[in-house]
Amino acid sequence: MTLRDGTAFSTSKDTLLDDLEAHNIAIEYHCREGFCGACRCKIISGEVDYTTDPLAFIDDDEILPCCTVAMTDLTLDI
Amino acid sequence: MRYTTFNQENNDFMTEPMFFGNPVNVARYDQQKHAIFEKLIEKQISFFWRPEEVDVSKDRADFQALSDAEKHIFISNLKYQTLLDSVQGRSPNIAFLPIISIPELETWVETWSFFETIHSRSYTHILRNLFTDPSSVFGDIVDNEQIKQRATDISRYYDDLIFATQVWQTHGEGTHDINGESITINMRELKKKLYLCMNSVNALEAIRFYVSFACTFAFAERELMEGNSKIIRLIARDENLHLTSTQHILNLWAKGKDDPEMAEIAKECETEARAIFLKAVEQEKQWAAYLFANGSMIGLNEEILCQYVEYIANQRMAAIGLGQPFDISSNPLPWMNNYLHSDNVQVAPQEAEISSYLVGQIDSEVSAEDFDEFEL
Repeated sequence: MTLRDGTAFSTSKDTLLDDLEAHNIAIEYHCREGFCGACRCKIISGEVDYTTDPLAFIDDDEILPCCTVAMTDLTLDI
Repeated sequence: MRYTTFNQENNDFMTEPMFFGNPVNVARYDQQKHAIFEKLIEKQISFFWRPEEVDVSKDRADFQALSDAEKHIFISNLKYQTLLDSVQGRSPNIAFLPIISIPELETWVETWSFFETIHSRSYTHILRNLFTDPSSVFGDIVDNEQIKQRATDISRYYDDLIFATQVWQTHGEGTHDINGESITINMRELKKKLYLCMNSVNALEAIRFYVSFACTFAFAERELMEGNSKIIRLIARDENLHLTSTQHILNLWAKGKDDPEMAEIAKECETEARAIFLKAVEQEKQWAAYLFANGSMIGLNEEILCQYVEYIANQRMAAIGLGQPFDISSNPLPWMNNYLHSDNVQVAPQEAEISSYLVGQIDSEVSAEDFDEFEL
């Protein structure tokens, strides 16, 4: 996973939100279950898979890190 | 168009817009125009809880030990929460149900409002425990100038839409003389009122509630009023879901995925929508000043709370395409998220891990591998 400032690290089998937190990257969250949308962020490249059906509104170029895992190399706008 | 409780015209609800189409007839969910609302209903019902399940008895002693300034913060905050849920427990039903045209949205609004009534009942549960007679607290909600100011703005857009809908449903489009007042009703204006009302509801669920949540959880951070905080966590979880629903409605309109006229209105009224949000932010900051007028509390003061309002407004406005007007990028109250995390909500003592009621979740399919771990 690569971030806007060039920070890069490999993702785990946990959610992207867990990975981001494990690397001390502050990201907003509330529910961690895909229904509130607080962690919503833009994805620049790559593909993700949802671990639960997200209920929050997500635009075409957005993902919810709290309920996704990486399927390919990712670049996020964080 | 007169409202009918069972529209006998065999219309195709899959081609109806969310609002201002034909009234709903059969409450069916086998086909859905916007499946998201059915998913929200399911999720919301899985969140079912009762205020009486939460033990608030320890709060009484905590409350008595609070300083006068803290008591003022706590009680004012509860009054405000009571006002918000009083409005939300009835208004979506009265304003939206008569003009909804698809069954899944109709049922979502009813489910949503029902949960707001649970919230209202829980405030009584909390207050009954703190005071032998909570009447003066409830009474002050309609007398307190600070609260009245907010109530005016919160109910204004609902009242406007409700009245215009009533005139439209009884007299139709055109100019009507109602009690000596000339009132012009046309569909475009009705839809505008709906759009502004939905934005006002969105701002209420998105910002107004969170200021009060911050105060509640600030007490919990000091291990005070924990029963109250447990209840507010359950409320916050529900409100998160309600917020998601209004964000979906606004985005469906704006992106032209529902009524094309609503997409035009969304563009046309963007400035007004933004103004509704900014006014809510301003009012919440004034409320923060009122809360801390007699002194602040450990962990929270007027300045930090105002920063939090701006921070949360940035998040919420970005979610519906209104940009981020405030210059604040990090959360001034990072501990808030621990309380808003769904899995951390504990309903009953035996439910330390799972907070959603899952009724009938019995797996009826058993495969041979399920017995792999068993040994004879």
